[in-house]
Amino acid sequence: MSGSPHHLEADLSIVAGQFVAVVGPSRSGKSLIIELAAGLVRPEAGRVMLLGQDWSHAAEREESPLRIRVGTVLQQPGLLSNMTVFNNVLLPLRYHRGAMPDRDRAQVVMAELERLGLGALRDRFPAELNHGEVRRAAIARALILDPEVLLLDDPVAGLDAELVVVLKRYLEARRARHALTIVAALRASSPFMEDVDRLLVLRDGRVVADGTREAVLGAVSDTLRMYVA
Amino acid sequence: MIEWVGRKTIAGYAYLASLATLFTQAVLDLVLPTQQGRRDTLWVIVRQVLFTGVDALPVTTVIALLLGIIIVTQAGTQLPRLGAGGLVGGIIVVTVVRELGPLITAFIVVGRSGTAIAAELGNMSVTREVVALRLMGISISRFVIMPRMVGMVLSMLCLTLYFDVVAVLGGYLVADAQLTIPFYAFVESITKALSTTDVVMTAIKALSFGSAVAAVCCYHGLAVRSSFTEVPQQTTRAVINSFVLCLLIDVAVTVPLYV
Repeated sequence: MSGSPHHLEADLSIVAGQFVAVVGPSRSGKSLIIELAAGLVRPEAGRVMLLGQDWSHAAEREESPLRIRVGTVLQQPGLLSNMTVFNNVLLPLRYHRGAMPDRDRAQVVMAELERLGLGALRDRFPAELNHGEVRRAAIARALILDPEVLLLDDPVAGLDAELVVVLKRYLEARRARHALTIVAALRASSPFMEDVDRLLVLRDGRVVADGTREAVLGAVSDTLRMYVA
Repeated sequence: MIEWVGRKTIAGYAYLASLATLFTQAVLDLVLPTQQGRRDTLWVIVRQVLFTGVDALPVTTVIALLLGIIIVTQAGTQLPRLGAGGLVGGIIVVTVVRELGPLITAFIVVGRSGTAIAAELGNMSVTREVVALRLMGISISRFVIMPRMVGMVLSMLCLTLYFDVVAVLGGYLVADAQLTIPFYAFVESITKALSTTDVVMTAIKALSFGSAVAAVCCYHGLAVRSSFTEVPQQTTRAVINSFVLCLLIDVAVTVPLYV
């Protein structure tokens, strides 16, 4: 499979409920895996199947029902700049769950923001937030519809060590409540590695190691071990 | 040379086809029943009407009044020399109601709101807000394009009719103050010259211009890809293409009807 701006050749299948981390150097194809899985990039050859549906040939109208089941946070999270944090997180609920009472929706959003330590920032606009706060708000927005799959591109960028742990616990709690498949592209080793069921190591658009953290640690070169250890 | 002309012609048709697709999709989103995002969409329409219509009233009033004054001053001083002083009302109808009202209103809307839409959507594209909406399963056509189009079309229609009334009023101010044409005579000359066709055609032009401007500006805003420097470039293209398209539509509507 290839897509702009990188090239990727991979044959992967991910079991529902797994937490899969994709690691490797810059431009190794980590973000491309996320973009392919999110249906933002179409493969030149091959297929991308997600939740039993073929992303590769889905028309835009067919995308919407599938997208509700998939939460995605890209490197640039794209919070809507003219909406507060609260309204950003509320938007998918308002759009897709129009029948839900306003009060219930507000409660769900506030609970999500509190869990991510964003309760006090509910009325701030994205321009008033730091990088880590924007990222956490985007994760809250991606998870507000209780998707079955969560795709994260560099989820810990801009987060300090404490907040990485907050996010880690938050995702652990989400996974404990109901099955959530997570695919996360990570640029460096982080506490997330402790929770990972499977690790994919990429280099130059190819998978060079695939397995549990322990198995991968023994299978990769010293250079790539830095991303895993 | 021939190759260049051929390439430009194909590009022109492709551009018009893209605009037609965008417009058709927005119309489908408007008429097809769905519960998804109805309240949000309505809210965007209301904001668009407030910005494009209500906020444009002061500038529209000033321009319409001045235009009415200029036209009636010229007509009122030149026509009597030709023994056609009674045609002042007719001149107002022909120039303002039929042609300049819809066109100048369109130009005002392009300058104020068309540029704003193109720049807003361009910035949204660069900051990946458009992609984020798509990732949330929110239709760009339903949530972004259609409400702006509906808001702009409604605003354009109301502003055009308002422009015509204010321009006629401006004309009357001159007629009354400088040309000493009595109110009754002024109104009579206008009502004689004004036909239902004129009003209907003005409304049709306003609706067409509104649709065209909204489609062009949304298209160019969403055409921005990865750099903020593209935003002013696409905004400029949106303005120029909106002007050209409005004039083309004007010719297409006017020539068959009045020639």
